[in-house]
Amino acid sequence: MSNRKEETASFMIRFTQKIFESEKGEAQVQWRGNIRHVQGGDEKRFSEFEEVVKFIQSKLQDLTIQAMENKSPEEQKGILAKSFDLWKKMATEAPKMVIETIKDPKKQVAQIQDQIQDQLSQVKEEIGQKFDVDSWLSSSKSDSKKILEKLESLSGEVARLNEKVDQLKK
Amino acid sequence: MPNPESRIESILSKKSHAEIRVKTLGGFQVWRSGAAISQKDWGRDAAIQLFQFFITNRHRHALHKEQIIDYIWGNAETKSGQQNFKVAMHGINKVLEPGRKSRSEARFINRQGVSYQLKLDEIWIDTEAMDQLLAIANQHLLNNSAIARKAYYEAIELYEGIYLPNRLYEDWSTEERERLQLAALNALISLSELLVKENPLESIRLAQKILQIDHAWEDAYRIQMEAYLEKGNRPMAIKIYRQCQKVLDEEFGIGPLPETQQLYKRITNI
Repeated sequence: MSNRKEETASFMIRFTQKIFESEKGEAQVQWRGNIRHVQGGDEKRFSEFEEVVKFIQSKLQDLTIQAMENKSPEEQKGILAKSFDLWKKMATEAPKMVIETIKDPKKQVAQIQDQIQDQLSQVKEEIGQKFDVDSWLSSSKSDSKKILEKLESLSGEVARLNEKVDQLKK
Repeated sequence: MPNPESRIESILSKKSHAEIRVKTLGGFQVWRSGAAISQKDWGRDAAIQLFQFFITNRHRHALHKEQIIDYIWGNAETKSGQQNFKVAMHGINKVLEPGRKSRSEARFINRQGVSYQLKLDEIWIDTEAMDQLLAIANQHLLNNSAIARKAYYEAIELYEGIYLPNRLYEDWSTEERERLQLAALNALISLSELLVKENPLESIRLAQKILQIDHAWEDAYRIQMEAYLEKGNRPMAIKIYRQCQKVLDEEFGIGPLPETQQLYKRITNI
């Protein structure tokens, strides 16, 4: 069995946010930073997130190549293609959120709120008759935290009820 | 609560009377009763590594043995992982308490079943002292600049370099290294800003220290420009701006922030 450390690539990314006014007086946000591959020590500075994606991709590719040293060239080719496909999926989906945050932090907050709203819609379908979920759905941003707390407490109640049902069954 | 002066004194004096003293910034060294512990005394590197891991995770709740092995050696499920841990624990106890009777309770490592944690009361660690000093400095930055200044100076003095440089490629040390470097950079920025008008030369020295840590830290160039302007040395202020421009272009492909550009314009218009 291979050591977990040999299968791991870690990255430390530092973002520094700069907010300033443009010549037209509009607020601007700039991100600069650096990324370091922990196990190899290589470091790269960036001001565009695409550079981070490329950096991580090259290190993961190295990791895959190292892990297949003993395989045949055909197998190596196949694994590398699969590894690249996986990375492509991750690189397009996961950093999208980060890129959106860099471009527009408000939009990101809105996305999270949308996710909460989606979850609430699902909850509505399941428990809509017992609770006034509509008032939650039209909630403002400041109410989101309260809603989450209510959901947590609701989950707790459900868990306790389940326990009681289990005990009754016994 | 004791006043901030005596809190600073107490942090510093612990260094001289603690039984175990640990330096992790810029290099690793441990002293027992004032005497440096040599590499030979430590025996295997696994003992040093485990002790450094305890220091890094000193504020986490007691860590489970399997978790520790997995973090450090990545092989908790194997016999060699368990063996590494056993040997390393024995090595630490031997170094920290050479006279301890076997099976008696360890003085510096708290063990509860299979969970372990460092006992911080009797150990002085540079990073712990630095954190405490920075907390005092930040707390008094706006209402007592003399205290803030003293605490910042003492904290910066402790930052002799990156955290555990010999573990640069170890995953488990990365977060702490980054946290401490940012803390040091922020302390240097705050202190050099505090001193721009009162002592511009010292402010320049501190800003240069920032650039030794990260030569693309734009604030440090701007502070130097302001300090040179304060000294009436326009040519140097202009030179620093050009250096800043060059570094930002080379490292990020961007120009200085409007704030820095405006300062440059102010300097050139005098």
